[in-house]
Amino acid sequence: MSRESREVIRVANIVKDFRPGFGLRRKRVLHGISFSVCEGEIFGFVGPNGAGKTTLLKVLMGLIRATAGEATILGCDVHETEFRRHIGFLPENPYFYDYLTGREILTFYAKLSGLPRAQRADRVALLLGWVGLSSAANARLRTYSKGMLQRVGIAQALVHDPSVVFLDEPMSGLDPIGRKEIRDLILRLRAEGKTVFMNTHILSDVEMVCDRVAIIVSGRITYEGAIEDFLEGDQRESDVVVAGLRPETGVQLEEKFGASLRGHGDRIEVRTADKNVNPMLGAILEAGGQVLSVTPHRVSLESIFLSAVEQDRADEKERER
Amino acid sequence: MISPALIWTIATNTVREAIRNKLLYVLLFFAIALILAGALLSSLSYVESERILQDIGLAAIRLFSVAIAIFVGVNLIHKEVDRRTVYTILSKPLSRTEFLLGKYLGLVLTIWMQMAVMVMAFAGVSLATGAPLTPTHAAAFFLTGIELALVVALATLFSSFTTPMLASFFSGGLWFVGHLTRDLRDLGAASDLETVQRLTALLHRVLPDLESFNLSIEAAHGLPVVASDLWLPLLYGGGYVAILLVAATALFGRRDFR
Repeated sequence: MSRESREVIRVANIVKDFRPGFGLRRKRVLHGISFSVCEGEIFGFVGPNGAGKTTLLKVLMGLIRATAGEATILGCDVHETEFRRHIGFLPENPYFYDYLTGREILTFYAKLSGLPRAQRADRVALLLGWVGLSSAANARLRTYSKGMLQRVGIAQALVHDPSVVFLDEPMSGLDPIGRKEIRDLILRLRAEGKTVFMNTHILSDVEMVCDRVAIIVSGRITYEGAIEDFLEGDQRESDVVVAGLRPETGVQLEEKFGASLRGHGDRIEVRTADKNVNPMLGAILEAGGQVLSVTPHRVSLESIFLSAVEQDRADEKERER
Repeated sequence: MISPALIWTIATNTVREAIRNKLLYVLLFFAIALILAGALLSSLSYVESERILQDIGLAAIRLFSVAIAIFVGVNLIHKEVDRRTVYTILSKPLSRTEFLLGKYLGLVLTIWMQMAVMVMAFAGVSLATGAPLTPTHAAAFFLTGIELALVVALATLFSSFTTPMLASFFSGGLWFVGHLTRDLRDLGAASDLETVQRLTALLHRVLPDLESFNLSIEAAHGLPVVASDLWLPLLYGGGYVAILLVAATALFGRRDFR
Protein backbone atom coordinates (compact mmCIF):
# COMPACT_ATOMS: atom_id res chain seq x y z
CA MET A 1 0.00 0.00 0.00
CA SER A 2 1.49 3.32 -1.03
CA ARG A 3 1.92 5.83 1.81
CA GLU A 4 1.08 8.53 -0.72
CA SER A 5 -2.55 7.31 -0.62
CA ARG A 6 -5.12 9.57 0.99
CA GLU A 7 -4.86 9.72 4.77
CA VAL A 8 -8.20 8.51 6.16
CA ILE A 9 -7.47 8.27 9.90
CA ARG A 10 -5.04 10.63 11.60
CA VAL A 11 -4.19 10.37 15.27
CA ALA A 12 -1.79 13.00 16.61
CA ASN A 13 -0.38 12.96 20.16
CA ILE A 14 -3.54 11.63 21.78
CA VAL A 15 -3.34 11.65 25.56
CA LYS A 16 -6.10 10.33 27.81
CA ASP A 17 -6.23 10.60 31.58
CA PHE A 18 -8.86 8.95 33.73
CA ARG A 19 -9.67 9.63 37.34
CA PRO A 20 -10.18 6.16 38.88
CA GLY A 21 -12.53 7.58 41.53
CA PHE A 22 -13.54 10.71 43.35
CA GLY A 23 -10.54 12.33 45.01
CA LEU A 24 -8.06 9.88 43.46
CA ARG A 25 -5.09 10.86 41.32
CA ARG A 26 -5.55 10.92 37.56
CA LYS A 27 -4.15 7.93 35.71
CA ARG A 28 -2.73 8.32 32.21
CA VAL A 29 -3.87 5.50 29.93
CA LEU A 30 -2.76 6.90 26.55
CA HIS A 31 0.64 8.58 26.32
CA GLY A 32 0.73 10.67 23.14
CA ILE A 33 -0.44 8.13 20.55
CA SER A 34 0.25 9.08 16.93
CA PHE A 35 -0.24 7.20 13.66
CA SER A 36 -2.14 7.45 10.44
CA VAL A 37 -4.06 5.00 8.27
CA CYS A 38 -4.36 5.42 4.52
CA GLU A 39 -7.28 4.72 2.24
CA GLY A 40 -7.79 1.04 1.44
CA GLU A 41 -5.48 -0.23 4.20
CA ILE A 42 -6.31 -2.89 6.75
CA PHE A 43 -4.64 -1.59 9.88
CA GLY A 44 -4.14 -3.86 12.88
CA PHE A 45 -3.96 -2.21 16.29
CA VAL A 46 -2.45 -4.86 18.49
CA GLY A 47 -1.83 -4.94 22.20
CA PRO A 48 -2.32 -6.96 25.38
CA ASN A 49 -5.45 -6.54 27.50
CA GLY A 50 -5.51 -3.14 29.20
CA ALA A 51 -2.99 -1.61 26.80
CA GLY A 52 -5.38 1.15 25.70
CA LYS A 53 -6.67 -0.26 22.39
CA THR A 54 -10.36 0.14 23.20
CA THR A 55 -9.78 3.52 24.85
CA LEU A 56 -8.21 4.84 21.65
CA LEU A 57 -11.07 3.41 19.60
CA LYS A 58 -13.56 5.15 21.89
CA VAL A 59 -11.70 8.41 21.34
CA LEU A 60 -12.00 7.87 17.58
CA MET A 61 -15.74 7.11 17.92
CA GLY A 62 -16.31 10.24 20.02
CA LEU A 63 -17.42 8.16 23.00
CA ILE A 64 -14.73 9.66 25.22
CA ARG A 65 -12.84 12.93 24.91
CA ALA A 66 -9.08 12.97 24.65
CA THR A 67 -7.26 14.94 27.34
CA ALA A 68 -4.91 16.29 24.66
CA GLY A 69 -4.13 15.70 21.01
CA GLU A 70 -6.11 15.60 17.84
CA ALA A 71 -7.90 12.83 15.96
CA THR A 72 -9.55 13.11 12.58
CA ILE A 73 -11.38 10.65 10.34
CA LEU A 74 -11.87 11.53 6.68
CA GLY A 75 -10.51 14.98 7.57
CA CYS A 76 -13.26 15.64 10.15
CA ASP A 77 -12.88 16.06 13.90
CA VAL A 78 -14.07 12.88 15.62
CA HIS A 79 -16.72 14.77 17.60
CA GLU A 80 -18.58 15.86 14.49
CA THR A 81 -21.52 13.67 13.53
CA GLU A 82 -22.12 14.07 9.80
CA PHE A 83 -18.99 12.19 8.64
CA ARG A 84 -20.20 9.11 10.53
CA ARG A 85 -22.40 8.32 7.53
CA HIS A 86 -19.15 6.99 6.08
CA ILE A 87 -17.91 4.96 9.03
CA GLY A 88 -18.98 1.70 10.64
CA PHE A 89 -18.12 0.55 14.16
CA LEU A 90 -18.22 -2.84 15.86
CA PRO A 91 -17.58 -2.52 19.62
CA GLU A 92 -16.03 -5.30 21.69
CA ASN A 93 -18.70 -7.77 22.93
CA PRO A 94 -21.52 -5.73 21.40
CA TYR A 95 -24.91 -5.59 23.10
CA PHE A 96 -28.08 -4.72 21.26
CA TYR A 97 -31.74 -4.19 22.06
CA ASP A 98 -32.67 -7.80 22.68
CA TYR A 99 -36.41 -7.18 22.24
CA LEU A 100 -35.82 -6.59 18.51
CA THR A 101 -35.35 -9.22 15.83
CA GLY A 102 -32.22 -9.40 13.68
CA ARG A 103 -34.06 -7.74 10.81
CA GLU A 104 -35.55 -5.01 13.03
CA ILE A 105 -32.22 -4.07 14.62
CA LEU A 106 -30.49 -3.76 11.24
CA THR A 107 -33.39 -1.67 9.90
CA PHE A 108 -33.10 0.55 12.99
CA TYR A 109 -29.37 1.10 12.39
CA ALA A 110 -29.98 1.64 8.68
CA LYS A 111 -32.47 4.41 9.55
CA LEU A 112 -30.00 6.03 11.96
CA SER A 113 -27.30 5.86 9.30
CA GLY A 114 -29.49 7.79 6.89
CA LEU A 115 -29.91 4.94 4.40
CA PRO A 116 -32.79 5.89 2.06
CA ARG A 117 -36.04 4.02 2.72
CA ALA A 118 -36.06 2.50 -0.78
CA GLN A 119 -32.71 0.76 -0.18
CA ARG A 120 -33.21 -0.34 3.42
CA ALA A 121 -35.01 -3.68 3.05
CA ASP A 122 -32.68 -4.95 0.30
CA ARG A 123 -29.55 -3.81 2.10
CA VAL A 124 -30.67 -5.40 5.39
CA ALA A 125 -31.46 -8.69 3.61
CA LEU A 126 -28.06 -8.59 1.88
CA LEU A 127 -26.19 -8.01 5.13
CA LEU A 128 -28.12 -10.75 6.93
CA GLY A 129 -26.99 -13.09 4.16
CA TRP A 130 -23.36 -11.93 4.34
CA VAL A 131 -23.11 -12.71 8.04
CA GLY A 132 -25.11 -15.95 7.78
CA LEU A 133 -28.17 -14.84 9.74
CA SER A 134 -30.87 -14.98 7.05
CA SER A 135 -32.59 -17.95 8.70
CA ALA A 136 -32.60 -16.22 12.13
CA ALA A 137 -33.65 -12.81 10.78
CA ASN A 138 -37.08 -12.87 12.42
CA ALA A 139 -35.98 -14.23 15.80
CA ARG A 140 -35.54 -11.85 18.75
CA LEU A 141 -31.92 -11.09 19.64
CA ARG A 142 -32.44 -12.44 23.17
CA THR A 143 -32.50 -15.91 21.59
CA TYR A 144 -29.18 -15.36 19.74
CA SER A 145 -25.88 -16.94 20.79
CA LYS A 146 -22.78 -14.81 21.47
CA GLY A 147 -21.41 -15.63 18.03
CA MET A 148 -24.69 -14.61 16.38
CA LEU A 149 -24.66 -11.28 18.24
CA GLN A 150 -21.10 -10.72 17.00
CA ARG A 151 -22.39 -11.27 13.45
CA VAL A 152 -25.22 -8.79 14.06
CA GLY A 153 -22.55 -6.35 15.27
CA ILE A 154 -20.60 -6.75 12.06
CA ALA A 155 -23.75 -6.42 9.96
CA GLN A 156 -24.81 -3.16 11.68
CA ALA A 157 -21.31 -1.76 11.14
CA LEU A 158 -21.64 -2.39 7.40
CA VAL A 159 -25.36 -1.80 6.84
CA HIS A 160 -24.90 1.69 5.37
CA ASP A 161 -21.95 0.67 3.18
CA PRO A 162 -19.33 2.78 5.00
CA SER A 163 -15.93 3.54 3.51
CA VAL A 164 -14.07 3.21 6.83
CA VAL A 165 -14.79 0.37 9.24
CA PHE A 166 -13.61 0.13 12.87
CA LEU A 167 -13.67 -3.33 14.41
CA ASP A 168 -12.90 -3.98 18.08
CA GLU A 169 -11.96 -7.63 18.52
CA PRO A 170 -14.06 -8.77 15.53
CA MET A 171 -13.26 -12.48 16.02
CA SER A 172 -14.36 -12.48 19.66
CA GLY A 173 -16.91 -15.18 20.44
CA LEU A 174 -16.67 -16.83 17.02
CA ASP A 175 -15.84 -20.46 16.31
CA PRO A 176 -13.06 -21.29 13.79
CA ILE A 177 -15.54 -21.30 10.90
CA GLY A 178 -16.99 -17.97 11.99
CA ARG A 179 -13.49 -16.50 12.30
CA LYS A 180 -12.62 -17.58 8.80
CA GLU A 181 -15.86 -16.07 7.47
CA ILE A 182 -15.10 -12.76 9.16
CA ARG A 183 -11.52 -12.83 7.84
CA ASP A 184 -12.91 -13.39 4.35
CA LEU A 185 -15.37 -10.54 4.92
CA ILE A 186 -12.52 -8.20 5.92
CA LEU A 187 -10.57 -9.21 2.82
CA ARG A 188 -13.70 -8.56 0.75
CA LEU A 189 -13.88 -5.06 2.27
CA ARG A 190 -10.27 -4.47 1.21
CA ALA A 191 -11.09 -5.67 -2.29
CA GLU A 192 -13.90 -3.10 -2.36
CA GLY A 193 -11.37 -0.39 -1.46
CA LYS A 194 -12.59 0.18 2.08
CA THR A 195 -10.32 1.09 4.96
CA VAL A 196 -10.42 -1.20 8.00
CA PHE A 197 -9.08 -0.39 11.47
CA MET A 198 -8.99 -3.53 13.59
CA ASN A 199 -8.27 -3.83 17.31
CA THR A 200 -7.20 -7.31 18.22
CA HIS A 201 -4.88 -9.45 20.25
CA ILE A 202 -5.15 -12.47 17.96
CA LEU A 203 -1.84 -12.17 16.13
CA SER A 204 -2.47 -14.86 13.54
CA ASP A 205 -5.50 -12.92 12.29
CA VAL A 206 -3.38 -9.78 11.98
CA GLU A 207 -0.71 -11.61 10.00
CA MET A 208 -3.35 -13.02 7.67
CA VAL A 209 -5.36 -9.90 6.87
CA CYS A 210 -3.54 -6.70 7.86
CA ASP A 211 -1.39 -4.47 5.65
CA ARG A 212 0.10 -2.53 8.53
CA VAL A 213 0.23 -2.95 12.25
CA ALA A 214 0.89 -0.88 15.35
CA ILE A 215 1.66 -2.48 18.70
CA ILE A 216 0.45 -0.64 21.79
CA VAL A 217 1.72 -1.54 25.25
CA SER A 218 0.73 0.40 28.38
CA GLY A 219 -0.67 3.27 26.34
CA ARG A 220 2.43 3.73 24.16
CA ILE A 221 3.04 2.60 20.59
CA THR A 222 6.13 0.45 20.60
CA TYR A 223 6.15 -0.68 16.99
CA GLU A 224 4.51 0.44 13.80
CA GLY A 225 5.13 -0.83 10.32
CA ALA A 226 4.00 -2.75 7.29
CA ILE A 227 3.38 -6.46 7.84
CA GLU A 228 5.74 -7.47 5.03
CA ASP A 229 8.58 -5.51 6.67
CA PHE A 230 8.98 -8.18 9.27
CA LEU A 231 7.31 -11.13 7.62
CA GLU A 232 9.73 -10.98 4.69
CA GLY A 233 12.60 -8.83 5.83
CA ASP A 234 13.62 -10.48 9.05
CA GLN A 235 14.32 -14.06 8.17
CA ARG A 236 16.95 -15.18 10.65
CA GLU A 237 17.66 -18.90 10.22
CA SER A 238 16.65 -22.04 8.34
CA ASP A 239 16.24 -25.69 9.24
CA VAL A 240 17.19 -28.32 6.67
CA VAL A 241 16.20 -31.94 7.29
CA VAL A 242 18.58 -34.34 5.61
CA ALA A 243 18.77 -38.11 5.19
CA GLY A 244 21.84 -40.18 4.39
CA LEU A 245 24.33 -37.63 5.71
CA ARG A 246 27.80 -39.03 6.39
CA PRO A 247 29.53 -37.99 9.67
CA GLU A 248 32.43 -36.29 7.87
CA THR A 249 29.97 -34.23 5.79
CA GLY A 250 28.29 -33.13 9.01
CA VAL A 251 31.63 -31.87 10.38
CA GLN A 252 32.23 -30.07 7.10
CA LEU A 253 28.84 -28.32 7.33
CA GLU A 254 29.61 -27.20 10.88
CA GLU A 255 32.99 -25.82 9.92
CA LYS A 256 32.16 -24.27 6.56
CA PHE A 257 28.59 -22.98 7.10
CA GLY A 258 28.46 -22.58 10.89
CA ALA A 259 25.61 -25.08 10.96
CA SER A 260 24.44 -26.95 14.03
CA LEU A 261 23.33 -30.56 13.72
CA ARG A 262 20.92 -32.52 15.83
CA GLY A 263 18.95 -35.70 15.50
CA HIS A 264 19.88 -39.33 15.29
CA GLY A 265 19.70 -42.24 12.93
CA ASP A 266 19.28 -41.41 9.29
CA ARG A 267 17.38 -38.11 9.74
CA ILE A 268 19.47 -35.11 10.75
CA GLU A 269 18.24 -31.55 11.25
CA VAL A 270 20.78 -28.99 10.14
CA ARG A 271 20.20 -25.43 11.36
CA THR A 272 22.02 -22.52 9.72
CA ALA A 273 21.93 -18.80 10.40
CA ASP A 274 22.88 -18.11 6.80
CA LYS A 275 20.01 -16.53 4.87
CA ASN A 276 21.18 -18.13 1.63
CA VAL A 277 21.02 -21.90 2.10
CA ASN A 278 21.83 -22.85 -1.52
CA PRO A 279 25.60 -23.40 -1.07
CA MET A 280 24.95 -25.63 1.92
CA LEU A 281 22.26 -27.60 0.05
CA GLY A 282 24.75 -28.05 -2.82
CA ALA A 283 27.35 -29.45 -0.43
CA ILE A 284 24.84 -31.88 1.08
CA LEU A 285 23.72 -33.15 -2.33
CA GLU A 286 27.30 -33.44 -3.58
CA ALA A 287 28.14 -35.59 -0.58
CA GLY A 288 25.25 -37.94 -1.44
CA GLY A 289 22.82 -36.65 1.16
CA GLN A 290 19.13 -36.29 0.50
CA VAL A 291 17.33 -33.04 1.38
CA LEU A 292 13.92 -33.86 2.89
CA SER A 293 12.77 -30.33 3.78
CA VAL A 294 13.91 -26.72 4.09
CA THR A 295 12.08 -24.48 6.63
CA PRO A 296 12.99 -20.79 6.78
CA HIS A 297 12.33 -19.21 10.22
CA ARG A 298 11.49 -15.55 10.50
CA VAL A 299 10.81 -13.09 13.26
CA SER A 300 7.08 -13.42 13.90
CA LEU A 301 4.65 -10.73 14.97
CA GLU A 302 4.32 -12.74 18.15
CA SER A 303 8.02 -12.42 18.98
CA ILE A 304 7.93 -8.64 18.34
CA PHE A 305 4.79 -8.40 20.45
CA LEU A 306 6.24 -10.43 23.31
CA SER A 307 9.52 -8.53 23.33
CA ALA A 308 7.58 -5.23 23.41
CA VAL A 309 5.59 -6.47 26.43
CA GLU A 310 8.75 -7.71 28.17
CA GLN A 311 10.52 -4.42 27.49
CA ASP A 312 7.55 -2.55 28.96
CA ARG A 313 7.65 -4.69 32.10
CA ALA A 314 11.39 -4.00 32.46
CA ASP A 315 10.77 -0.26 31.98
CA GLU A 316 7.97 -0.39 34.57
CA LYS A 317 10.30 -2.01 37.12
CA GLU A 318 12.94 0.61 36.33
CA ARG A 319 10.42 3.41 36.89
CA GLU A 320 9.31 1.86 40.19
CA ARG A 321 12.93 1.94 41.38
CA MET B 1 -28.59 20.98 13.22
CA ILE B 2 -31.09 18.76 15.01
CA SER B 3 -32.77 16.10 12.85
CA PRO B 4 -36.44 15.44 13.76
CA ALA B 5 -36.30 12.20 11.72
CA LEU B 6 -33.47 10.81 13.86
CA ILE B 7 -35.21 11.87 17.08
CA TRP B 8 -38.36 10.14 15.84
CA THR B 9 -36.43 6.94 15.02
CA ILE B 10 -35.08 6.79 18.59
CA ALA B 11 -38.49 7.73 20.04
CA THR B 12 -40.45 5.07 18.14
CA ASN B 13 -37.92 2.45 19.15
CA THR B 14 -38.26 3.52 22.80
CA VAL B 15 -42.04 3.11 22.51
CA ARG B 16 -41.54 -0.31 20.94
CA GLU B 17 -39.29 -1.31 23.86
CA ALA B 18 -42.03 -0.29 26.32
CA ILE B 19 -44.72 -2.16 24.37
CA ARG B 20 -42.58 -5.32 24.56
CA ASN B 21 -41.81 -4.84 28.27
CA LYS B 22 -44.11 -7.14 30.25
CA LEU B 23 -43.43 -5.39 33.56
CA LEU B 24 -45.19 -2.24 32.38
CA TYR B 25 -48.29 -4.30 31.62
CA VAL B 26 -48.25 -5.50 35.21
CA LEU B 27 -48.18 -1.91 36.50
CA LEU B 28 -50.94 -0.96 34.06
CA PHE B 29 -53.00 -3.92 35.24
CA PHE B 30 -52.73 -2.80 38.88
CA ALA B 31 -53.69 0.77 37.94
CA ILE B 32 -56.81 -0.41 36.13
CA ALA B 33 -57.57 -2.81 38.98
CA LEU B 34 -57.46 0.13 41.42
CA ILE B 35 -59.76 2.21 39.19
CA LEU B 36 -62.22 -0.71 39.10
CA ALA B 37 -61.85 -1.18 42.87
CA GLY B 38 -62.95 2.46 43.21
CA ALA B 39 -66.38 1.40 41.99
CA LEU B 40 -66.55 -1.22 44.74
CA LEU B 41 -65.33 1.14 47.47
CA SER B 42 -67.68 3.94 46.42
CA SER B 43 -70.65 1.55 46.60
CA LEU B 44 -69.94 1.13 50.34
CA SER B 45 -70.56 4.82 50.91
CA TYR B 46 -74.05 6.29 51.27
CA VAL B 47 -72.91 9.82 50.45
CA GLU B 48 -71.02 11.18 47.47
CA SER B 49 -70.23 7.72 46.13
CA GLU B 50 -69.64 9.13 42.65
CA ARG B 51 -67.11 11.63 44.01
CA ILE B 52 -65.27 8.87 45.92
CA LEU B 53 -65.19 6.75 42.77
CA GLN B 54 -63.67 9.57 40.73
CA ASP B 55 -61.27 10.69 43.48
CA ILE B 56 -59.85 7.16 43.63
CA GLY B 57 -59.73 6.91 39.83
CA LEU B 58 -57.99 10.26 39.33
CA ALA B 59 -55.49 9.51 42.12
CA ALA B 60 -54.77 6.04 40.69
CA ILE B 61 -54.12 7.45 37.23
CA ARG B 62 -51.80 10.14 38.58
CA LEU B 63 -49.87 7.94 41.03
CA PHE B 64 -49.38 4.98 38.71
CA SER B 65 -48.43 7.22 35.79
CA VAL B 66 -45.84 9.02 37.93
CA ALA B 67 -44.54 5.69 39.25
CA ILE B 68 -44.13 4.35 35.71
CA ALA B 69 -42.56 7.64 34.55
CA ILE B 70 -39.95 7.53 37.34
CA PHE B 71 -39.42 3.77 37.14
CA VAL B 72 -38.74 3.81 33.39
CA GLY B 73 -37.29 7.34 33.23
CA VAL B 74 -34.44 6.79 35.68
CA ASN B 75 -33.24 3.82 33.63
CA LEU B 76 -33.74 5.58 30.33
CA ILE B 77 -30.16 6.72 29.71
CA HIS B 78 -28.37 4.74 32.41
CA LYS B 79 -29.40 1.39 30.91
CA GLU B 80 -28.16 2.42 27.46
CA VAL B 81 -24.75 3.32 28.87
CA ASP B 82 -24.56 0.39 31.27
CA ARG B 83 -25.43 -2.16 28.57
CA ARG B 84 -23.29 -0.28 26.03
CA THR B 85 -26.07 -0.13 23.44
CA VAL B 86 -25.18 3.55 23.22
CA TYR B 87 -21.79 2.69 21.64
CA THR B 88 -23.18 1.52 18.32
CA ILE B 89 -25.97 4.10 18.26
CA LEU B 90 -23.68 7.09 18.82
CA SER B 91 -21.26 5.79 16.17
CA LYS B 92 -23.99 6.58 13.64
CA PRO B 93 -24.55 10.12 12.32
CA LEU B 94 -26.63 11.06 15.33
CA SER B 95 -25.73 13.61 18.01
CA ARG B 96 -26.02 12.93 21.72
CA THR B 97 -28.67 15.64 21.89
CA GLU B 98 -30.79 13.89 19.25
CA PHE B 99 -30.38 10.59 21.08
CA LEU B 100 -31.42 12.03 24.45
CA LEU B 101 -34.36 13.98 22.98
CA GLY B 102 -35.50 10.84 21.14
CA LYS B 103 -35.37 8.77 24.33
CA TYR B 104 -37.28 11.49 26.20
CA LEU B 105 -39.95 11.84 23.52
CA GLY B 106 -40.33 8.06 23.30
CA LEU B 107 -40.89 7.73 27.03
CA VAL B 108 -43.36 10.63 27.14
CA LEU B 109 -45.35 9.02 24.30
CA THR B 110 -45.27 5.70 26.15
CA ILE B 111 -46.51 7.25 29.39
CA TRP B 112 -49.25 9.14 27.54
CA MET B 113 -50.36 5.94 25.80
CA GLN B 114 -50.55 4.12 29.12
CA MET B 115 -52.38 7.03 30.66
CA ALA B 116 -54.86 6.93 27.76
CA VAL B 117 -55.62 3.28 28.60
CA MET B 118 -56.18 4.21 32.27
CA VAL B 119 -58.39 7.16 31.25
CA MET B 120 -60.49 4.82 29.10
CA ALA B 121 -60.90 2.49 32.10
CA PHE B 122 -61.84 5.50 34.25
CA ALA B 123 -64.39 6.70 31.67
CA GLY B 124 -65.81 3.18 31.36
CA VAL B 125 -66.27 2.80 35.13
CA SER B 126 -67.76 6.33 35.39
CA LEU B 127 -70.25 5.63 32.61
CA ALA B 128 -71.15 2.24 34.07
CA THR B 129 -71.84 3.70 37.52
CA GLY B 130 -73.53 6.85 36.24
CA ALA B 131 -70.85 9.20 37.58
CA PRO B 132 -70.68 12.43 35.56
CA LEU B 133 -67.95 13.04 32.95
CA THR B 134 -67.41 16.75 32.27
CA PRO B 135 -64.96 18.80 30.17
CA THR B 136 -63.13 19.50 33.46
CA HIS B 137 -62.15 15.82 33.52
CA ALA B 138 -60.57 16.21 30.10
CA ALA B 139 -58.77 19.36 31.33
CA ALA B 140 -57.53 17.48 34.42
CA PHE B 141 -56.16 14.62 32.31
CA PHE B 142 -54.53 17.09 29.92
CA LEU B 143 -52.68 18.80 32.78
CA THR B 144 -51.72 15.44 34.31
CA GLY B 145 -50.17 14.63 30.92
CA ILE B 146 -48.10 17.85 31.11
CA GLU B 147 -47.06 17.03 34.68
CA LEU B 148 -45.93 13.59 33.54
CA ALA B 149 -43.86 15.13 30.74
CA LEU B 150 -42.16 17.24 33.42
CA VAL B 151 -41.58 14.24 35.70
CA VAL B 152 -40.06 12.30 32.78
CA ALA B 153 -37.78 15.28 32.06
CA LEU B 154 -36.68 15.26 35.73
CA ALA B 155 -35.98 11.50 35.58
CA THR B 156 -34.14 11.91 32.26
CA LEU B 157 -31.97 14.67 33.73
CA PHE B 158 -30.95 12.54 36.71
CA SER B 159 -30.61 9.44 34.55
CA SER B 160 -28.11 11.26 32.35
CA PHE B 161 -25.48 11.49 35.08
CA THR B 162 -26.29 9.27 38.05
CA THR B 163 -27.38 5.76 39.02
CA PRO B 164 -31.04 4.65 38.79
CA MET B 165 -31.23 4.38 42.59
CA LEU B 166 -30.16 7.99 43.16
CA ALA B 167 -32.14 9.19 40.16
CA SER B 168 -35.31 7.55 41.60
CA PHE B 169 -34.65 9.18 44.95
CA PHE B 170 -34.09 12.64 43.41
CA SER B 171 -36.99 12.41 40.94
CA GLY B 172 -39.45 10.98 43.47
CA GLY B 173 -38.34 13.51 46.08
CA LEU B 174 -38.73 16.43 43.70
CA TRP B 175 -42.16 15.20 42.60
CA PHE B 176 -43.24 15.02 46.24
CA VAL B 177 -41.75 18.43 47.11
CA GLY B 178 -43.16 19.84 43.86
CA HIS B 179 -46.66 19.31 45.23
CA LEU B 180 -45.78 21.17 48.44
CA THR B 181 -43.92 24.25 47.13
CA ARG B 182 -47.12 26.31 46.89
CA ASP B 183 -48.04 25.51 50.50
CA LEU B 184 -44.45 26.19 51.48
CA ARG B 185 -44.58 29.61 49.84
CA ASP B 186 -47.89 30.47 51.53
CA LEU B 187 -46.55 29.26 54.85
CA GLY B 188 -43.39 31.35 54.46
CA ALA B 189 -45.41 34.43 53.46
CA ALA B 190 -47.20 34.21 56.81
CA SER B 191 -43.86 34.29 58.65
CA ASP B 192 -42.64 37.45 60.38
CA LEU B 193 -39.07 36.78 59.27
CA GLU B 194 -38.17 38.32 55.94
CA THR B 195 -35.46 35.69 55.34
CA VAL B 196 -38.04 32.89 55.61
CA GLN B 197 -40.38 34.76 53.27
CA ARG B 198 -37.61 35.21 50.69
CA LEU B 199 -36.32 31.66 51.01
CA THR B 200 -39.74 30.02 50.58
CA ALA B 201 -40.55 32.34 47.66
CA LEU B 202 -37.22 31.41 46.04
CA LEU B 203 -37.85 27.69 46.55
CA HIS B 204 -41.28 28.08 44.99
CA ARG B 205 -39.72 29.77 41.95
CA VAL B 206 -36.84 27.31 41.49
CA LEU B 207 -38.53 24.00 42.31
CA PRO B 208 -41.35 22.77 40.08
CA ASP B 209 -44.81 23.84 41.24
CA LEU B 210 -46.64 20.63 40.36
CA GLU B 211 -49.91 21.78 41.95
CA SER B 212 -50.24 24.00 38.86
CA PHE B 213 -51.20 20.81 37.02
CA ASN B 214 -53.68 19.53 39.58
CA LEU B 215 -57.35 19.92 38.64
CA SER B 216 -58.50 16.83 40.57
CA ILE B 217 -60.73 18.76 42.95
CA GLU B 218 -62.32 20.74 40.12
CA ALA B 219 -62.88 17.54 38.14
CA ALA B 220 -64.32 15.56 41.07
CA HIS B 221 -66.74 18.40 41.93
CA GLY B 222 -67.56 19.27 38.31
CA LEU B 223 -66.29 22.85 38.70
CA PRO B 224 -65.77 24.79 35.45
CA VAL B 225 -62.27 25.76 34.21
CA VAL B 226 -61.27 28.67 32.00
CA ALA B 227 -58.74 28.65 29.14
CA SER B 228 -55.98 30.22 31.23
CA ASP B 229 -56.23 27.27 33.64
CA LEU B 230 -54.82 25.23 30.77
CA TRP B 231 -52.47 27.40 28.77
CA LEU B 232 -50.66 28.96 31.74
CA PRO B 233 -49.65 25.55 33.18
CA LEU B 234 -48.87 24.41 29.63
CA LEU B 235 -46.43 27.32 29.16
CA TYR B 236 -44.98 26.80 32.63
CA GLY B 237 -44.55 23.05 32.10
CA GLY B 238 -43.13 23.48 28.60
CA GLY B 239 -40.58 26.03 29.82
CA TYR B 240 -39.58 23.86 32.77
CA VAL B 241 -39.20 20.78 30.55
CA ALA B 242 -37.05 22.79 28.09
CA ILE B 243 -34.71 23.92 30.89
CA LEU B 244 -34.42 20.38 32.27
CA LEU B 245 -33.68 18.91 28.82
CA VAL B 246 -31.06 21.59 28.06
CA ALA B 247 -29.36 20.69 31.36
CA ALA B 248 -29.67 16.95 30.60
CA THR B 249 -28.17 17.29 27.10
CA ALA B 250 -25.33 19.45 28.46
CA LEU B 251 -24.48 16.83 31.10
CA PHE B 252 -24.91 13.89 28.73
CA GLY B 253 -22.84 15.62 26.04
CA ARG B 254 -19.85 15.91 28.37
CA ARG B 255 -19.88 12.30 29.57
CA ASP B 256 -17.11 9.84 28.83
CA PHE B 257 -18.47 6.36 28.07
CA ARG B 258 -15.70 4.27 29.65
